[in-house]
Amino acid sequence: MGTLCHFALFEIKPAFKLDLEQLSSRYRELARTVHPDRFADAPERERRQVLERAAQLNEAYHVLKTPSRRARYLLSLKGLEMSVEATIQDPEFLLQQMQWREELEELQEAGDVDGIAPFKQRLKKSQAELETEFDSCWEHSSKQETAERLVRRMQFLDKLSSEVRQLEERLDD
Amino acid sequence: MALLQIAEPGMAAKPHQRKLAVGIDLGTTNSLVAAVRSGVSEPLPDEQGDVILPSAVRYLENAIEVGMVAKQSAAEDPFNTILSVKRFMGRGLADIKQLGEQLPYRFADGESHMPFIETAQGLKSPVEVSADILRVLRTRAEKTLGGELVGAVITVPAYFDDAQRQATKDAARLAGLNVLRLLNEPTAAAVAYGLDRGAEGLIAIYDLGGGTFDISILRLSKGVFEVLATGGDSALGGDDFDHAIATWVIEQAGLSTNLAPSQQRQLLQLGCAAKEQLSTQASVTLNYGDWQGELTREHFEILVEPLIARSLKACRRAVRDSGCELDEVKAVVMVGGSTRVPQVRSAVAKLFGREPLTDIDPDKVVAIGAAIQADTLAGNRGGEELLLLDVIPLSLGLETMGGLMEKIIPRNTTIPVARAQDFTTYKDGQSAMMIHVLQGERELVKDARSLARFELRGIPPMVAGAAKIRVTFQVDADGLLSVSARELSSGVEASIQVKPSYGLTDGEIARMLQDSFQYAGDDMSARVLREHQVEARRLLEAVQAAVTEDGDRLLDAEEREVITAEIGKLKDLVDTSDASAIETQTKRLSHVTDAFAARRMDASIKAALAGRRLNEIEE
Repeated sequence: MGTLCHFALFEIKPAFKLDLEQLSSRYRELARTVHPDRFADAPERERRQVLERAAQLNEAYHVLKTPSRRARYLLSLKGLEMSVEATIQDPEFLLQQMQWREELEELQEAGDVDGIAPFKQRLKKSQAELETEFDSCWEHSSKQETAERLVRRMQFLDKLSSEVRQLEERLDD
Repeated sequence: MALLQIAEPGMAAKPHQRKLAVGIDLGTTNSLVAAVRSGVSEPLPDEQGDVILPSAVRYLENAIEVGMVAKQSAAEDPFNTILSVKRFMGRGLADIKQLGEQLPYRFADGESHMPFIETAQGLKSPVEVSADILRVLRTRAEKTLGGELVGAVITVPAYFDDAQRQATKDAARLAGLNVLRLLNEPTAAAVAYGLDRGAEGLIAIYDLGGGTFDISILRLSKGVFEVLATGGDSALGGDDFDHAIATWVIEQAGLSTNLAPSQQRQLLQLGCAAKEQLSTQASVTLNYGDWQGELTREHFEILVEPLIARSLKACRRAVRDSGCELDEVKAVVMVGGSTRVPQVRSAVAKLFGREPLTDIDPDKVVAIGAAIQADTLAGNRGGEELLLLDVIPLSLGLETMGGLMEKIIPRNTTIPVARAQDFTTYKDGQSAMMIHVLQGERELVKDARSLARFELRGIPPMVAGAAKIRVTFQVDADGLLSVSARELSSGVEASIQVKPSYGLTDGEIARMLQDSFQYAGDDMSARVLREHQVEARRLLEAVQAAVTEDGDRLLDAEEREVITAEIGKLKDLVDTSDASAIETQTKRLSHVTDAFAARRMDASIKAALAGRRLNEIEE
């Protein structure tokens, strides 16, 4: 299992569009077999092994259920390891990025609690659009650069979502 | 002291025989022990018929009192009577001073920076005090259930950090308890409601105990309890309500704030009693010395409003973290004695837009759930019906350049989990690297809790930025962390089972174990022997069953021969009194069956999927 790819572990064909219900129900089945709770009374050695496997399973599940991570993982399976630093220029998106940020700052300065919900909705919509786009191009080796760019955009929106959450928290004080 | 029943060597419990396991709610104010008997999980009473044991310990010169007797002597003997010790678990002296109250104890520093309390029996650490409470519960359970326990599930607030969890586990060890699992209190409550009352869907557990507040959001579906988010405040509890009233009395009566410990204690007891009465009465008359005053429920609600507001804020945050909306929550479960305060109930009802559930006694629900889990872990229920997927409550990370915390595992990640991240050197020829392990949500190191520091040495000389140091964090099912670091080009390695900065040192634990054995009239070497024998039998039983089941399929003739030979050797040794030989041979057998065990585990994963496929075809 340690060397199995995440998709193989769940016995799903590598794809970007996944049946998340199916993924989570398979996760539960697998979790039952390797959960440390089932080995509470087992010899120490087995407890150690099962701990490793349960951690691997959780990691695989986490990667597959999160769209940006799943996307990146699919590219890595095709031999495309994305470096940590952004190397691909994306001027078109840069502009959008700045707009998002400005809006978020305005919400923060105005302490606009009611403005957050529509902002979050638009964010969700953009995420969904990116996902559709990625789904249509990642398999084509001629479009790898596009695919990689889309993953970076997804990662940016993930980060933005977590900043929105932090803002909600601050405004709740 | 009751005589414990100890099975003769070779007469260990049969595999199919019911194993005795209990759930223990080690609370700030009260503690309970529960067990599943005839299919029903219920708290076990003491000889007087009381199930609740006040978490109070009094140290007399030649005796230790635990429970109600101790609690009642708190005002008269404040230095030697320890209450709410849970608030000190895994904490340093500086943290305790920050609890923001005057404590009537005399603290002293130990070798590990853990605060020790001066008592008539010398210095006592919070871990030892907790162990004294656990020992009483263990004895009660063994007497009631009529045998030795295979283990216990002990509950901790979900919000407990690594240091607090480790301290709890150390206390259990001192009390001679085998910890099957540390279980988060809200998860335990969810188990009680989910299994006994058939709750399903998204539920919130609001747990306001004596000293801690926890909120958890879980999804329940067909026996799977998936914690989505957890949060809370490890320094907020019903005790703070008592403090609020005591502070009010001090102001009203014009008392000096520099009170003697016994006066403080009296005022807190007065506050506690007033709080309880105000749950059913509109007002209460308070007397302290010559002073008399009237506290109305309205005014009490003003006093505690900021405390309740803090809890609601944590609720909103947990719901946000879960990725769900408030109105998706289908049920709200109340846990902890402080949820009896009407103001708390109405505030929670208003937030979630529904009446909270209180039909299982909020003081007992955690212990009831823990006992169900203990019964499952001991193998009495079969693993099929109950599965708990819990999370870590606080993010874990490392200190990086500039005093910043780099998060490796974010909060609310499902456990167990292992994650790695690569770091590099910042100076040419740098040969060592300090790994500083942190826990918390803030960005700056100074705002995070320092869990441990260790050093990776012997990095071969390289230019800055060339070395690749992989740091791996692993959190087990109890929520406990271990960290290892490895330089990838040279393979130089360092690892640490995180020993919290405020935990006990190994030396302290050894001394306390020694003390506790003396106290219990137990013999250390006999105990060590017995532990090795138990582990050896456990392994023998597991390996023999595995060979019978899968030997033909997964072992070749040579492997099988080796394993059979090692089994034979261990069998010959297990009933001797040579502890170290038993230990060595157990390790050998374990070693030669390592690959076999791994193969079996992978085969069972395949089988799980295959079974599913079969069902799908049938459908």
